[in-house]
This record gives sequence, structure tokens and C-alpha cells, in this order.
Amino acid sequence: MLSYTLRRILAVIPTLLILIVICFYLMRLAPGGPFTSEKPLPDAVMKNVLERYGLDEPLHVQLWTYMKNILLHFDFGPSFAQKDRTVNDVISHGFPVTITYGFWSAVFVLLCGIPLGVIAALRHNSFWDYTMTGLAIFSQIFPNFVLAPLMVLLFTLWLGLLPGGGWNGGQWAYIVMPAIALGTSYMASVARLTRGSMLETLNSPFIRTARAKGLPERTIIWRHALKPALLPTIAYMSPVFVYMITGSVFIDVFFSTGGIGQDFIDGAYSRDYSMLLGLAILYSVLTFALNLAVDLIYAWIDPKVRAGL
Amino acid sequence: MISPKKALSSPETTTALAEQMIVSRSFWADARIRFFRNRMAVVSIFMLFCLVLFAIFGHALATWSYEEIDWSLLGKIKTEGGPSLSNGHYFGVDELGRDLYARVVQGSRTSLLVGFIAAILAVGLGATFGAIAGYYGGRIDQIIMGAYNITLSIPYIIFFVVWQAFFGRDLIQMILVMVIINWTAGLLIVRGQVKMLKNREFVDAARMLGMSDFKIITRHILPNMLWVIIIYMSITIPETIMYESLVSFLGVGIQEPNTSWGALISQGAGTMTFGTLWQLAFPAIFFVIAQVSLYYIGDGLRDALDPKER
Amino acid sequence: MTRKSILLSALLSTTLVAGAYAADLPAGTDLAADQTFTYRVLDEFSSFDPQVVEDVEGANVVRDLFEGLYNQDADGNLVPGVALSHTVSDDNMTYTFTLRDNAKWSDGKPVTAGDFVYAWQRAVAPELASPYAWYMELMSIENASAIIAGEKPITDLAVEAPDDHTFVVHLSQPLPYFAKMVTHGTTFPSPKWAIEAHGSEWTRPGNIVSNGAYVLTEHVPKERSVRERNTMYWDNEHTVLDKVVTLVIGDDAQALTRYRAGEVEKTDIPAGQYPALAEEFPEEAYALPRLCNYYFTFNMSDTGPEAFKDVRVRQALSMSIDRNVIVDQVLQGGQFPAYTFTPAATAGFEVPDVAYAGMTQADRDKIAKELLAEAGYGEGGEPLSFTYLYNTSDAHQQVAIVASQMWKQKLGAEVTLENQEWKVFLENRGAQNFEMARGAWCGDYNEASTFLDLLTSPSGYNDGKYSNARVDELMTTAKSSQDTQPLYTEVEQILADEMPVVPVYHYSTNIMLKDSVEGWPINNVEQNWYSKDLYKVAGE
Repeated sequence: MLSYTLRRILAVIPTLLILIVICFYLMRLAPGGPFTSEKPLPDAVMKNVLERYGLDEPLHVQLWTYMKNILLHFDFGPSFAQKDRTVNDVISHGFPVTITYGFWSAVFVLLCGIPLGVIAALRHNSFWDYTMTGLAIFSQIFPNFVLAPLMVLLFTLWLGLLPGGGWNGGQWAYIVMPAIALGTSYMASVARLTRGSMLETLNSPFIRTARAKGLPERTIIWRHALKPALLPTIAYMSPVFVYMITGSVFIDVFFSTGGIGQDFIDGAYSRDYSMLLGLAILYSVLTFALNLAVDLIYAWIDPKVRAGL
Repeated sequence: MISPKKALSSPETTTALAEQMIVSRSFWADARIRFFRNRMAVVSIFMLFCLVLFAIFGHALATWSYEEIDWSLLGKIKTEGGPSLSNGHYFGVDELGRDLYARVVQGSRTSLLVGFIAAILAVGLGATFGAIAGYYGGRIDQIIMGAYNITLSIPYIIFFVVWQAFFGRDLIQMILVMVIINWTAGLLIVRGQVKMLKNREFVDAARMLGMSDFKIITRHILPNMLWVIIIYMSITIPETIMYESLVSFLGVGIQEPNTSWGALISQGAGTMTFGTLWQLAFPAIFFVIAQVSLYYIGDGLRDALDPKER
Repeated sequence: MTRKSILLSALLSTTLVAGAYAADLPAGTDLAADQTFTYRVLDEFSSFDPQVVEDVEGANVVRDLFEGLYNQDADGNLVPGVALSHTVSDDNMTYTFTLRDNAKWSDGKPVTAGDFVYAWQRAVAPELASPYAWYMELMSIENASAIIAGEKPITDLAVEAPDDHTFVVHLSQPLPYFAKMVTHGTTFPSPKWAIEAHGSEWTRPGNIVSNGAYVLTEHVPKERSVRERNTMYWDNEHTVLDKVVTLVIGDDAQALTRYRAGEVEKTDIPAGQYPALAEEFPEEAYALPRLCNYYFTFNMSDTGPEAFKDVRVRQALSMSIDRNVIVDQVLQGGQFPAYTFTPAATAGFEVPDVAYAGMTQADRDKIAKELLAEAGYGEGGEPLSFTYLYNTSDAHQQVAIVASQMWKQKLGAEVTLENQEWKVFLENRGAQNFEMARGAWCGDYNEASTFLDLLTSPSGYNDGKYSNARVDELMTTAKSSQDTQPLYTEVEQILADEMPVVPVYHYSTNIMLKDSVEGWPINNVEQNWYSKDLYKVAGE
């Protein structure tokens, strides 16, 4: 397994290289540059600005300089939009924020979604099943841009319990609403997948064999059914966790958390090249790490998959 | 690769093998019967069908066109723009005094079309690649996972912007863009399932019998994980419907005065705290009907297609 | 020989009333115990560096942190800042500012003329590459353009400090509104020693040294910033607010909710919500005129459609826009229907009587139909169809939809709406890759030429490529003329006749401001506000 992990880690390097090259040229293909503005800069000023950031060099030279700076100095370049800061600055400040509420959101999703799904599956087509279904649908029909304003109206304006936004160093009162608003719709999906997967597992031959052997139902569920039944959910959660961090733009903007989801969008709109590249690399590494984690979990749960590594 | 021989000895394998034989024989016929026995699923199919009818013929009932501004209401929408039978705005008007009913009809067309086509294509593509990656593993797996990784990490806004600059805009471009960005949907889940299933005894057996990889995947692995794809699809279609509004917002998709559920819902949500709730409620109701129907159809199909549930 | 400026005599009288230009407290004001002012900003600031900052909100912070030669009062008039007064040479080309001797940086060092020389040289330095270097060019400082172009060293900038309290500027041409331009952040002094010690991180709290009424004490990007009273500030004793906090809230509706919850004391009003809020909070909702216009620009270059080359078509499209509907029923935020390019709020600008402004909409519609028929389009003629390009935004979309429906219903014109992402839009509009496009302009300084220069042939912002020799000539004359009104009137008349752009409305600023916050400069059309002029009263 160790050699497998190492091989996977080595395999990420070409992926990153390809990603950087694709992103780099894709961004330059996009009309407009970081300094295109409503009041176009006079030519001389534009020339100075481009020179200062090295944007006047041929593209492949810029790409080479960029890669060199990363390798030699771990320097991801300056931000063009936030002029007093570098990409390293912005990410080291925003990433902990995003990952913190992303983590709590994932905890919320799993702690609510999995039990919902399991109960619904065990009481298949019963009152419980329908109630869970209703709950799942209910949480899915409130996309976060509807749910978030409703929560703020309720908890901030009417009840005065929670602050309407901000981060304040990550105190729990500031995390609750972003985490729930971000997670709710995923929670419903997790519940559905878990339900489906649990039903699938409960009907599979080895559970039937276990039942035939007369094992108590509780043991069957906890010891035998749950682990394999959770595999699809785990596979589902890996990209979702990345989505939660990349796709948390709305949450970042709405709750003013200061996370990097907002930079990903702002960076795209303002053509903040180095910021976007830096974030793309970060996301790629994150995606890779989570995928690897999923594969290892699969291998850990299913001995046959492990043998196949 | 594990040796197929050692797996063939247990009694469980025999049962599974027998089951597999039945699956390949009468699988689809049985599934159809099982599906139509599920009442909720049938009702949902009917509801979805009604939505399609509404999208196609709904404009016949409208007294206003979807782009025409009711100048008499403009400026006092908050007080007089609500739903009313007397002025012909059954669902009220939008922020600019345009008939919401006609706009919901128009939006239903876009959303149903785009949502279904894009989601089905995206999940289909993702499932195919996931199956290939999971089944073959090794280098192929690494390449597909690399592509998956890159797709997830590319700044999608820039991608849309570049696409629009080079290929322009229309419905087909939009569907294409959405498939390209979302082809990873379901990939990981399918890959994981295939990875697990390919080591099951019945697959080994099939392999021993000299079946081709393609046949093994379609005949033996697919039926056992179809439920994942179906549930994933019923999750993805509503997501895609909402996603469409972002793509359009960035200029690749449909343009005003055309609209979609996603656009109507996000416009309605933007003003929901200001007392024009009907602007959110009506498009949302249609969206919810579609979503709930898909939910039950998805579950119905899951139950029906489960090779073990008979 | 120099002569005293008019400003100076006005200033002398004000300096006698000590501190009359700081927070102006009426006698018996009951001040709130907590003098903390919290307001909402939309985005993270571009910078706190006076020479680098680009965005409006950033400039507002910079005006609190740093103080330039002059400040503006509540009506937008000049009042002394670091400079007490100035004199102008007879040829109007040399300005000599006298600086106060009690101005200090937050680290206790005195503010000297040398700090201004350093800052102004910095603003044009190619190495710093400030995007706002164009502002220094606009100020017509001698050699500025050559330095920006890299042809001369920065030391050639024609600014000098004969002694610590005298700052002299030489211009390359007379500029009647030069003195007004020194209230802009780009011209504020900067602390050489701090910049050299900390490099690009000199604006971080703890590193920053500033000479304004406040110092930056906390900054969490994309979340909040805090600035607190600068005890070294020369007029600190008249500053009332102790602490000013900005919260970044990206969503208008959410900002309003948090305003209602009392988390912020000032926020922007979401589009279209002014009437309802004005009714609910009559004391807190404001619609203030603003120095910005909104227009549709025809592409009159070779790439533009044939129809737009016909003045009658342009006239017809302009006439058939019911500006009152757009202003009163769509935007509903106290905007002003526009028939001229320059907003009425512009200082010293008298709105000329252009013919179509005085007509009823019914008359305008009738003339529009006739003109279009004469030109051979519309009913009975060639169908008129074109594409209107705008950038993605709800407000622009609303205007686009309403206008296109007006054209469709009144003139039978088929208008295709096309929205594009902001930078794509700018590229296409700048490259004349459009038929009709949205345009808007906010004044860089409070004078009509900031608007009208836009439509001259050499202007880099003239996206429609309109060109009229007479307009060019009039605007050149206006640069050095003492009486500009007749010139501007003639330009506006030409624009109304030829209609190269369709003026739609002039902006207003819609804000919510808590009752307890006093001293807001509601009459300042540039909305340049200073926290040192604000105060909070007790009780509610």
C-alpha cells in the first residue's frame, strides 16, 4: 500500500504541470487583462504596469519564470487586484478560513446525512422512510442562496442569536450559519446515496448469509452492512468537499468569511492571473489528496480492492 | 489481478452466479413490471409529463407574452404586481412588470431541455470514464484521474469566458460547455463501485468463461451499479438546472428576454427579503415539482433495477 | 509677481474660527459615549497606498489615513489640509502652496514639502507603475508625461520644496481647476522612511505611518479593517469619532439585513429599493446626486451598422426612450432623466436648453416615428434591427430590457440583447466590436470637461468613435479659458443635434445612514467624506 501511495503521489506531478500549462494559456486567451478597466490606461502607463509585473515578456518566458519562482522560492507571484499583497499572503490567510467551515460543513453533512439514509433504508417504504425523504427533499429545494438569507433573517434579525457575517478569527458563532448553508443540499444527497447503498447492501448475498446464520440484526448492520454501504457516500464526498471549498463563493460573499472561494471568482473576473493559477494548483492538490484518501479508504474497507492495488 | 480460480469454490459464489444468469435473461422486463408497481414513481412520471406539457403548451393560456412589459404596473410592482386573475398575470409580474406566468412557461422549456440533456450526457460520460478507470486501473486510471483532477481545478469562469469569446453563444454551446465542465459528475462513485465489483466472484466467473471486457462491464457490472448512476442522475439534473443560470449569467447561455427556472429563481431570491415573494415562489414550485418527481423516479428505478430485489 | 488666490481670502477667515472645518458640532450636541462608526464596503480594497489605490472605497479610507494639500468641506468646497493657502503666478502655470507647520506624521515626524515632492515623484515613477499615474498627467504637471514614458528621470518632475513649508508646482499649461485636483488620494504625501523600511508591506497595520486624522490599526482582508484616531494629527482635538470600522459585505440585500440588525451604520441601498426604504426609514434613506452619467453609445466607426450613420435614426432612438419611466419606475432611486451628457450636479455647469428636453414624451415619440420613416426604416421601410451590448449586471439588464421594449413597441425595432462578462465587454466595446453599447462615466474631478472630453476625437474613452472638429476645438479652448460655460453649452447643443450618444440618466448615490451619525456631506456630489467630520449623537 505504501508503494501504491508513493506512486500516486509521484503521478500528481505531471498532472500539475499540465494543469498549470492549460490554465496559464486559457487565462491569456480570455479577453481583457488584469489592467483592462472602464477608464483605459494611457499607453505609457499601461506599458509601465505591464513591465512591472513582467507581463510584457513573451508568454512562454512568463510561464517559465512563474514555474521557476514556485520551485525555487515557493513564490506564487503578486496579486494584481489586491496590490499590497502576494498570492501566498492571500491564500495563507483565506485557506484556513475556508477549510475550517468546509470541515464543519462536511461534519454536518455526514452526521445528519448518513443516519437519515440508514434509518430510511432500514425502514424501507415505511413512515420513517417517507419522513426522511421529505426532509431530504426539503433541504434540497433550498439552494444556499435561498437558505442563507432565510437563516440570517431568522437567527440574526429576529432572534438576534448569531452574527450576520464576518469571521472574527473563527469563533463558532460565525461558523454555524456558513457551515449549515453550505452543507444542506449535500446533506440531502448523502442521505439519498446512503439509503440506496444500504438497501443494496442489505439485499446482497453475504448479508443474507449472515441473516441465515442467525446473527442479530444489530450486529449485521453495524459490523457487516454499514462499512461497504458507506463506500459510495465516501466517493461522493471527496469531490463534494472540493466543491465545498471552490464552490463556497456564495457563502464567502454572503457571510463575509474572507475565504478563498471568493478569490477564485474575483480572480477570474479581474483576470488576476497569478492568483487564479495559485488557487487552481491548490485545488488540484486538494482534489488529488482527497481522491487518494478515498482510494485508500476503499482499500481499507474492501480487502479485495486492497489486493488489487 | 487476483486469480479467478480460488474464488469459485464457495457456495455464495454459486448463488451469485445463478442470480447473474437470471439477471441477464429477464432483467429489463422484470424491471419494467417492478417499476410500474411503485405508485409514487408512476405519479412522478405523470407529474414530469405534465411539466413537459406545460412547457410546450402553457403559453396558450397566457394573456401576455413573456417579454412584454405591463407599463401600468411598472414602478408599483411591490403593491400591485402580485398574482391576480383580473389583469391576466396569474403568477404576478417580475421586477420589470413582465408576466411571470409566461416567463415560467418559457423558462420551463429551457430548463427541462438543458437540464435533462446536459445532466444525462455529463453523467453518462462520467460513468463511462469511471467504469473504464475502475475496471482497468493502472495507467489508464491515472490518466483519467489526472483529467478529472484538472477539470475540477480549472477556473470555470475563465473557461466560460474563453468559450464564449471563441465559439459564441447559443443553446447547444451552453449544453456543450456544461457537459465539459460537469463530465466528472459521478465519475468517482462509478469508478469506486466498479473497482469493488470487478473483484466479485461472478465477474471472475464471467472472465473465466472468456467474456469480453465490454460484455463483462455492460452485462455484469453495470446492472449491479445502475442504481448509483440513476440516483446520481436524479441529483445531477436539478443541480444542472440551477447551474444553467450561472452559465447564462456569464454570457455563454441564453439571453434576455429568454429565461429559465434558474434565472427566475435567483432573481426572485435576490428580492425575497423585500416583499415580492411570489417572484421566487412560482418558479420555485415548478422546480421543486421537477426535483421531487425526479427523486421518486430515481428511487423507483433503483428499486426496479436492483437485480436482487424480486 | 504672484497674486493671492480667491481661495486664500476665504481661508483666512476660516482659520480664525479655530477648527470650524473639523466635525462641526452645534452647541449642546449630546454626543454618544461610543464614537465608533461601522460601515459596509462591497469589496476588499485595492490598496491603502495613496499612490496606488484605485477603488472608490479604498480612496475613502486613504482620505482618512492621509491628508493632502486641501480637503473638501461638506459642500465640496476646498478647505485647508496640510496646505493653508496657495498663490498662482500670473501666467497661471506656477502654484505655490504654503504648508502648515504643525502637521505631523503618526510617528511624530513633521509633514514637510519634501514629503509631497517624494509622493508626487512616486506617483509618476515607472517602477511603481501606479495605474493612477494618468491622474498626474491630467494635472498637467510639467514633465509628468515624459517621466511616465520613461524618457526623463523622476527628479525632473516640476515640483519643488524650497523649504519645509513651501511646495511649488509648475504646470505645462494653465489649468483652471488645478487646485481642485489636489484633494485626490494620488496627490497625498507618503512617508519615504516607512516605505523604504517595509517595502510593499508598508501599508500593513503596525508598519504604516500616516498623516491623516486616523491610523490603520487592524486589517483582515475581505473581512474588516479598523482605523483609529491619530493622536499626532494636527487637528486631533476636533476629531470626534474614535474608531472607524469597515466590514466587507459582498451582497447588497445581506448588507441591508445586517444594517437592520444594527451591525453596520451605513450601507448602500439595493437597486430599486429606495422608495420602500424611504417610506420605512424616512430619516435614514438618502438619494444623493452623483457625478456620473449613463448613456447608450452608437458605434459610428466603420464597423458600426449603416443605420447608425444616419443622424435621424440616432435621433429617433434617443427620442423614443422615455427617461422618466426608466428613472421613476425602474430605477426608483432619485436618479435624474438625462438629456445632456454632463450631469446638472457638476460644479459651475448650467444645463443648456436642448430642444428635446422640453417636449412631452408623446411629442418625442411622434417625432421619433417621423424621423425613422424619413430615414427609410421601420414601418414601410427597411426593418431596423441591431444588437445592444451591456455587461452582466441586474441593473444594466433592467435598463436594457426596458429600452429594447420601448424601441420595439414605438419604432418596431428588433433589438437583440447581449450581455458579456465585464472585461470581455470592455475589450469588445474598446475595439468597436459592437453596434450599440452601454456607457457610463463618473467624473474624475468636479468640472464639465471630465465628461465632455470623452466625446472628442483624441479621447481614449471615445468608444463610439464620434468625431466632430468643432467639438474638439471647443474643448481645447475650454482647457485654458476662464469662462467655459458658453463653450460647454455649444458642445452640448452639438451633441443634442448629432446624438452620437443617448444620454439616459444621471446617477444618484442611494445610501442608508443611521440617524445617530451626523455630519455626512450630503451636498458633496463627489461623495468625498472624511471621518473626522462625522460624529455620533446619543439617544434614539
